[in-house]
Amino acid sequence: MSGGIAVGGGAGVAEVGEVAAVGRGGDPAWLRARRDEAWELYEATPFPSTRSEEWRYTDVERLLPLGDLEKRPIGSKWSGELPERLRRVLASDGEGAGRVVEMDGRVVSARLDPGVATAGVVLSSLADAACSSDPVVRELLATQAVTASDGKFPALNAALWSDGVFVHVPRGVKVELPIRLSRWVSRPHTPTFTRVLIVAEERSRIAFEDEILSPDFESATLASTAIEIFARRGARVRYVSLQRMGRRGCHLASQRTIAERDSSVDTLNIALGGSVDRVDLNARLVGQGASSEMLGLYFGEDGQHFDFNTSQDHVAPHAHSDLLYKGALDGRARGIFRGIIRVHEGAQRTDAYQTNRNLLLSDHAVATSLPNLEIEADDVRCSHGATVGQLDSEALFYLMSRGLERGQAERLVVRGFLGEVLSRLGRSVVADKVMRTIEAKLVR
Amino acid sequence: MPTNEVIHGLGLDDYKFGFVTDSEPVFRARPGLDADIVRQIAARKDEPEWMLKRRLRALAIYESKPMPKWGGDLSELEETLAQTYFYSKPHEQMERSWEDVPENIKLTFERLGIPEAERKILAGVGAQYDSEMVYHSLKEEWEAKGVIFDSIEDGLRNHPELFRRHFGTVIPAADNKFAALNSAVWSGGSFVYIPPGVHLETPLQAYFRVNQERLGQFERTLIIADEGSRAHYIEGCTAPVYSTDSFHSGVIEIVVNPRAYFRYTTIQNWSNNMYNLVTQRALVHEGAHMEWLDGNLGSKLTMKYPSCYLMGEGAHGEILSIAYAGDGQHQDTGGKVIHVAPRTTSSIVSKSISKGTGRASYRGLCKVYDGAERARSNVECDALLINETSRTDTFPYIEIDERSATVGHEATVSKVGDEQLFYLMSRGLDEAEAMALIVRGFIEPIAKELPLEYAVELNRLIELEMEGSVG
Repeated sequence: MSGGIAVGGGAGVAEVGEVAAVGRGGDPAWLRARRDEAWELYEATPFPSTRSEEWRYTDVERLLPLGDLEKRPIGSKWSGELPERLRRVLASDGEGAGRVVEMDGRVVSARLDPGVATAGVVLSSLADAACSSDPVVRELLATQAVTASDGKFPALNAALWSDGVFVHVPRGVKVELPIRLSRWVSRPHTPTFTRVLIVAEERSRIAFEDEILSPDFESATLASTAIEIFARRGARVRYVSLQRMGRRGCHLASQRTIAERDSSVDTLNIALGGSVDRVDLNARLVGQGASSEMLGLYFGEDGQHFDFNTSQDHVAPHAHSDLLYKGALDGRARGIFRGIIRVHEGAQRTDAYQTNRNLLLSDHAVATSLPNLEIEADDVRCSHGATVGQLDSEALFYLMSRGLERGQAERLVVRGFLGEVLSRLGRSVVADKVMRTIEAKLVR
Repeated sequence: MPTNEVIHGLGLDDYKFGFVTDSEPVFRARPGLDADIVRQIAARKDEPEWMLKRRLRALAIYESKPMPKWGGDLSELEETLAQTYFYSKPHEQMERSWEDVPENIKLTFERLGIPEAERKILAGVGAQYDSEMVYHSLKEEWEAKGVIFDSIEDGLRNHPELFRRHFGTVIPAADNKFAALNSAVWSGGSFVYIPPGVHLETPLQAYFRVNQERLGQFERTLIIADEGSRAHYIEGCTAPVYSTDSFHSGVIEIVVNPRAYFRYTTIQNWSNNMYNLVTQRALVHEGAHMEWLDGNLGSKLTMKYPSCYLMGEGAHGEILSIAYAGDGQHQDTGGKVIHVAPRTTSSIVSKSISKGTGRASYRGLCKVYDGAERARSNVECDALLINETSRTDTFPYIEIDERSATVGHEATVSKVGDEQLFYLMSRGLDEAEAMALIVRGFIEPIAKELPLEYAVELNRLIELEMEGSVG
């Protein structure tokens, strides 16, 4: 196995289970079996190479020195003070329906607004929910959305996950404010594997904001996340991922959303920090009238490497999906967008769009865009577009003629370019945070 | 939604030239491929030693490269290749004037629907019958201008230095598996040289036919458009229908020297059992202009992506691509533009129609290297779907390493709308006419680029495919 993570030096999955279940007295049998199976798949799956289409532009072996990582995930729970930066973020986030803090792959606190809890909403540590064999978790965890058969990293995550978040919204319950997950990764060359499972029952409503932070590292560290979202008939789910890790942080995310009849699942992926960020997002529209808005925003500098691999699977007819990913790339940053709209046989009256726009701010930045369509139905409206360009010189000239310095004018144009994505989100804490981070990057 | 009868009435699927003329090849190698076959081909052609060495090296490359896993379904191709005759030489010797052309070949042209009068106008026709040029005449005025328009074999024989300097430089044998195969067994094709500053008003034309069952055709064309020259080359293919799979794998190399203009037009209408895997590439130098006009109507599977390597400052590349995929057909086509030098510009316009169980895939690459300052490229793909079972894909690759580059890609997919049909029918057209009009309107931006006055039969092909007015 080249460059892979040899857990326990190949001692096997028994140890995996032990590591993951430290402090809980072990996994229930069904979970242990599920991990075993995932581990077998992990071992049977070849390491992703740039010879495969999906990993063509991201050389994991080179970018992620997995061989250098500690041979086991962190077992022990965080103790002591929260880091200063995290505390500042928590303080400024403001009102929400719930809040989960995850430290090095372990949930240290999960608090839900009492009113929301009374309505029957469940917010808990995923490990706790699994250990108490919650029937929903048992049914859906790594079985339908992000499964071990999805690839090398999903398999690894399914075998080794230590904790995460479980959200269950009962029928008809509308949670107005977002639930926030704040993750902190503290240790260099140490992998963490976590999962989020969100199940929104019929006609319910939920918004979930998932932020990952870390300090700068001297050597690479890996945060692997698996996000599974189920929207039952008529439910509405919004999921936002905000990655603001420090230097040498690597984020590998596998996300799948499953939208049933007349439901909507909207996602926003924001990549600002870290050295490598790879997001695999699959939106499945399995019920008539389902819809997905898929937004993405990235700002890369130095040698940052962002790779978004999205797919829109139109399985049912009369469904709608609309994707917009926009990114600005400075320094030696590299941005890759690979997206595909698949209209399956029989998915008539599909409405699907896909747009990727890139702004190159330096001579050494590189943008790669692969917007794909695969269409097996005839009565559809599909389009895609991709652009790569530099700052609009006329806009710059206009602003400078109004007395702005070049730097100011450039910042304004970049803000306007990326602001299009945020404006779709409406007023939110996330938008403010993103704008502040981008502003800081631009001034540098 | 139009009824199936109406769609059938359009005759889009009927292969118009499904006739067979008897011809007896003088020499025909056994089916399959090995070094002996390659040596036989070279010996028959009386080629210099260096070419034989190249062929053998290419064969080794071909054998070492795996079958491509992307694009169309090539799973049955190995079997087809084992049955393929890699070389045959027809009865006839090279002909200079129309009167000397054998009757059965004249008949073939007759069946293609080119009237006698127009044949005379069609200046400098090089017709490829089976694997070699058998009819080849060149207008006197062109000869006076120093233009060379020969069979590829004559090019090698009569212009060895020019030939050797350019052959295999645009598409080396190692480029891909099928380029390697072609480099090993090539036979037939054209050699064209346009001297500096020469402008050709009438297009150079070659008709290609594959006429022998299981006969592979490995046409090889090398074109050099020297500085400031201007020319247009037209290649049209029709092939009789046969029962077993057939295979065609051409290599077209074009060098467009500084400030030259060159256009290469292909209308491909192979019968529906043909594998058509072609490599076409142009090196476009400073201030030069290259256009590929690529029409793919026939074949079982076509994989063809004409490309422009924009090597010199201000070079321009254009690819206009049209694909029609009927029942059982897969057209995997598109184009590639590679920007190497500053201020290079390019555009790709692709239109495809999928009907019945047909599948049209656009596959393209736009690459801008670091240092290709202010390069600009635009790609537009439109796909039209006729039936529920029709399929279309778009696979563009956009790789940009240069900040000052401006690159755009857009694609849309649509079906023939009921409203459009209803509108036209309310104006008195019947359903078939309305359908044909919509399809014609869809491809018009590319169809209008065809040189109507010189390529009567090429346009007829398109019209027949689209309108089905003749069964």
